[in-house]
Parts: sequence; C-alpha cells; structure tokens
Amino acid sequence: MTTTAQEFLRKAAEKSADMAHRQIIRKNMDSYDEAVANGRSRFQNWQAAREKCQAIKREAIEHLDHYLERFESAVQARGGKVFWAETGEQARQYIVDLAAKHNVRTISKSKSMVAEEIHLAPALEEKGISVFETDLGEFIVQLRKEPPYHIVTPAMHLSRAQIAELFKEKLGGIDTDDPEQLVTAARTTLRRAFFTAEMGITGANFLVADQGLAAITTNEGNADLGVTLPKIHVVIAGIEKVIPRLQDLAILWPVLASSGTGQPISVYNTLVGGPRGTSECAGPEEFHVILLDNGRTDLLADPEQREVLHCIRCGACLNACPVYRNIGGHTYGTTYSGPIGSVLTPHLRGLNQFQHLSYASSLCGACAEVCPVKIDLHHHLLQNRRNAVNLADRPASERFAFKMWRWSMGSAGRLAFFGAIGKFLLRALYALGAQGTALDPLRPWTKYRAAPQLPSKSFRVQWREQNAGR
Amino acid sequence: MPAAENSGRAAILNRVRAALKTPAKVHDSPGHVHAGPGEIFPPIGDPLERFRSECVGNKTELIVTSSFEASLAAASSILAESQAGEIFVQDAPELRRAAAQFGAGRSLRWSCDGGPLESTGVTITLAELLVAQYGSVLISSACGGRGASVAAPVHIVLAEIDQLVPDLETAMQRTYDPASRNSYLCLITGSSRTADIEKILVMGAHGPKRLIVILSQS
Repeated sequence: MTTTAQEFLRKAAEKSADMAHRQIIRKNMDSYDEAVANGRSRFQNWQAAREKCQAIKREAIEHLDHYLERFESAVQARGGKVFWAETGEQARQYIVDLAAKHNVRTISKSKSMVAEEIHLAPALEEKGISVFETDLGEFIVQLRKEPPYHIVTPAMHLSRAQIAELFKEKLGGIDTDDPEQLVTAARTTLRRAFFTAEMGITGANFLVADQGLAAITTNEGNADLGVTLPKIHVVIAGIEKVIPRLQDLAILWPVLASSGTGQPISVYNTLVGGPRGTSECAGPEEFHVILLDNGRTDLLADPEQREVLHCIRCGACLNACPVYRNIGGHTYGTTYSGPIGSVLTPHLRGLNQFQHLSYASSLCGACAEVCPVKIDLHHHLLQNRRNAVNLADRPASERFAFKMWRWSMGSAGRLAFFGAIGKFLLRALYALGAQGTALDPLRPWTKYRAAPQLPSKSFRVQWREQNAGR
Repeated sequence: MPAAENSGRAAILNRVRAALKTPAKVHDSPGHVHAGPGEIFPPIGDPLERFRSECVGNKTELIVTSSFEASLAAASSILAESQAGEIFVQDAPELRRAAAQFGAGRSLRWSCDGGPLESTGVTITLAELLVAQYGSVLISSACGGRGASVAAPVHIVLAEIDQLVPDLETAMQRTYDPASRNSYLCLITGSSRTADIEKILVMGAHGPKRLIVILSQS
C-alpha cells in the first residue's frame, strides 16, 4: 500500500470519529438538501434539464478542437490573448512572467479550482506578490493556510466560533462571532485589495465558444470587481470548460445554481471576453485566457471515461456522497474531493498512487443520481479499480485468490462445496475461541459491528426445505 | 508571441484530435430515467407579476412607476435617504436630464469620467434587459461601464417595461447583440450575498447590499 493510501485511511478513521466535525458537516448538508429541494422545484422536468445539459457538454467535448479554436479566435477578435498550457508548470510560469513584466505587487483572485490544481497562489507568493483570495470562504481557508474543504463551500468545515477566532487573530480589531460583522470585516480588508491590485485572476465556469466569453458565477460579486478594477485580467480554465453557444447558458446557469447551492440562479453570472473596448469607460488594459490541459487530453483519449470531462464542478456529488459526509473534504488529500475527485485524480496525478480513492465509495450511486450532467460516476470508480488491477503490479497472491474466487463462484455446486468448507473452518476456529481475535477472518467486518449468529443451515438447504412441497 | 507559446497550442490540439478519432462510449446504465419530451420549466404567466414575485424572493427592491419621469423622481428620493459618498451615474442622455435632481447637495460623477471609486456610495444605471423568470437584470459595459453595478453599497437600475422578457431562453437570444458590442455583461439576480459562514445568509458581501429596480410602465 502506498503512503498516500495509508495517510488516507488514517485521516478517514480520525475524521469519521470526530463528533464536532460530523455535527458541522451534518448541519451544512441539511441546509444544502433543503435548499436543493427548493431549487429543483423550479423545474417542471428536472430529468429533461439534466439530459439537455449532458447533450450540450457532450457536443462540446466531442468537438473540443473546433470549439476551442472558435473560442480563441473570438477572444483574439476582442483584443484578448489566449495561451495554451500543456502543464500546470507552463501555466504558472506564464502568469508569473506576466506579473513580473507589469511589476504586479498585489493580485485579487476569485475562486478557481484550476488555480488550486496547479498551486498558482504559492508560486506567485514566492515572488513576493500578495495574493488575496476574494471569495469569503476561500479567504477564510487562505488565512488558515488550508486548501479548500469543498469545491463550492471552501470553509464548510468551520464553525463561526472558529472563524471569529481566526479573524480576531489575523485581521485585528475584531472580536465578534456575528456573521454579518465577520463578513463586514472581510469586506473591508478585501475592498482595499480590490482597489490596490494590478492584476485580477479568475477561473471560469464556462468558456462560451461562439462569442469568446468566459462565464464566471459568484454570489458575492467578487469576480466582477476582479475583472473591473485591475489593469490586467487573467482567466485560467481547463480546456473542458468550453461550451458551444451563449444560448446554452439559459439552461446551464440555472442547473449549476440549483445543484451547487439550491438557488434558482446565482446572483452574479458574469460574461467577460476582452480588455476594455475603445468605447468602454472601465476595465483592464490586458485580458489573458489560459487554456490548461494538464492531463485532460489523456482523459479525452479514454472513450470509456471521456464523459468525466463533462463535469461542471457544482459539488452536488460531494454533498450526496455518504463517504464524503463522514470523512470530509481534506481527508482525500487532493484538489478535487468526493466522488468526482476520486474518479478524476487518478487520471491527473497517477493511477498507482491514487487508486485507493476508487475504493472510497460504497458504489451506492447517489453521486450519479444527482449529477446534473449525468456522469456515471460510480461506474467510473469501478473502471478505475479494474484499470488499477490491470496496470499496476498487484501481488500474485491477490491475483490467485481472485482467480480461485471466480472459479468457485462459477457453478452452484462449487459454491456450495467451498461454502461448506468455509463454514466448517470458521466454526472450528470459533470453537477454539478465535472469534474476535486477529485469527478471525471476519475481524475487519466485526471490528466495528456486532457479529451475526452463524445460521445452522445454509441458504441452499433452507431453500430446498421451504420449497419442498411446491 | 514566443515560439514556446505556440508549441503548446499545436500539441494540445493534436492530442485532442487524436483522442477524438475514437467516439465516446455512451454510458446508460440500466435503470436510468429518461425524461422524454416535455418542457423543462413551467410556463410563465404575466411577466410583470412573475418579475415582482421573483424580486421578493431574491431580495431585489422593486418600484413600479407610471413614467420614466416618475422613475427619476423615485431614484432622487432614494438618494436623499441614502448614505454618504459620491453618486456615480451612467452617462446616458435620459439620466443627464436628471443631473440637477440627483446631484442636489452631493458630489456626482458620470461614467465617462472613469470607473467608480472606493468611496462611491450609490451607482445609477440603465439595463439591457430584465428577466421575469428569475427577477434578473442584464447589464453590459454599456450600462455605465464595468463595476457600475458592483462597486457601491447601493445600485439603482432604471428600466422600462418593454425591456422585460419572460424567460432566460429569450433573454440569452437577445444577449447576442449586446455581447457583440461589449467586453463585459452580467446577469444580476438580487444583491451581493454570501452563506460561507455556517450557511447563514449575509447580504452585501462585496457588491451592493441593496439592488433597487425602478421599472416604468409607460
């Protein structure tokens, strides 16, 4: 077992026993569930909405080259620059160079999972640049020097008492746990940053090909200030974010909001596609879009799992997942957590090191059921398990054991025979007092659960007896 | 542009094209629900009534007036009660007419003189469209430039009834024209908010605490 896998198991055991954590997450998830039920009620036909979104994303991904080029030329026509980055390193370097060229000291940054993926903020801070996370949740975890806990709600794991303590320590002059006053304190700090920053960095929820616009969704309005006030605006997005038409947003925006937070639609759905135009009175002098590959084309080359690129990062699968709800976002140790993260991470960072995430699932399918673009998430977890077995070196003993298992399951007679032997051995062990000890083969199951009574008759015998007269 | 930047472009596009030679496997596990034909959203009755009820839901303050003149007067009375700070107004002929009303005793700046400042207290703009389905306002950089809708604690939008469209589908069709002329657009639904602390809703995170739409029916 790799150390990332051991670390994952250790943290998972720790977090699932942390009652305070459990309570905070449950409270958050309950309020999310209630909001989503509300948001869904705005649709007459939610399944039709999902199918439409799936069709839009499928069209975009199946013609990705075409739509990326279309997006690029539309952005260039508005006077923007497009940079294609094969790796996170190239993307970071481009932004670091751009900041150096313009002597940037302060950056206002909106929430971007891609920026997290490529560790952008640390690379800029290393150059002595102040990077201000302007999404409130992201600002909070930045002050704590933590990665985001959740794709949509980065500070979901913190109570307001913890946030109050944090602000008291880091912002100075504030001693309150009133959410309104805490927000005001953050607003004041960040407002200064917005008006000082020479560069604004945002992600993009969608890249609109036919109009060359980046669509950025927020509730706070932080992205709007970030694309307005600094003299340079940089958008960083994965290549899979492209959608064919502006018109597609008429369904994608409401679906993103109702899956992400349960709102009918988010407060600010911003579209931005260039620097300040000649007739416009405000906006940046330069506009750059970075299109990031970083492993995405490998996923594209896998016809079986290509649809994973349809993901719109709404976070619904995290919220629905019984594993996420118990172990929390940080336990995964990855940028993308929850079911989508467990599917995606092995592709982005290596199957061998992250195959354990494919088992961080009960395969209940709650994730696939809520996914607004209908990604078959739990089946992709199964495929990752299969691929890990095929590609990575599994111990010969494991291969042999599964071969035997497959053979013994192959006929009713063999199953009965081996079942009887198993039962006999188990009874013999238990007669020697081995139940519950390290010798007990059921120990991993019974460690946290009451052991069931071994029935005196097998299922086959019971079936025969009960159906004897029919 | 340095050669290195172009090499990434060709490499990525080549990989994309090679990958797409094999079509995607379509996933449809048994038990998947198929929607069949049918409308995604319920029909929208009277657009103004819908807009009104949506505004209540998303916390937009809506004032319906009988004429644009009455709308200007309504905006002036909000200004009179509003907090201190400069007033920032979109440089449009119909708003220039009200300069004397708006500016009474306050410093007033027109959008053509640069973006709003840190100290701006209220912004006043027009809109591209209103959307009944969500109680939304579509603005573009033609509406006072970028920032005019988010920089101040209060944003007042003056609109007319013929700008109201029933649903987002119609609104997005009509967005192609402003999108071709502007580098920035925003569909705004309510005022700035956050629920990042224990999912408790707090208004006025970065943008306005109050969004006021004054809609003239003439």
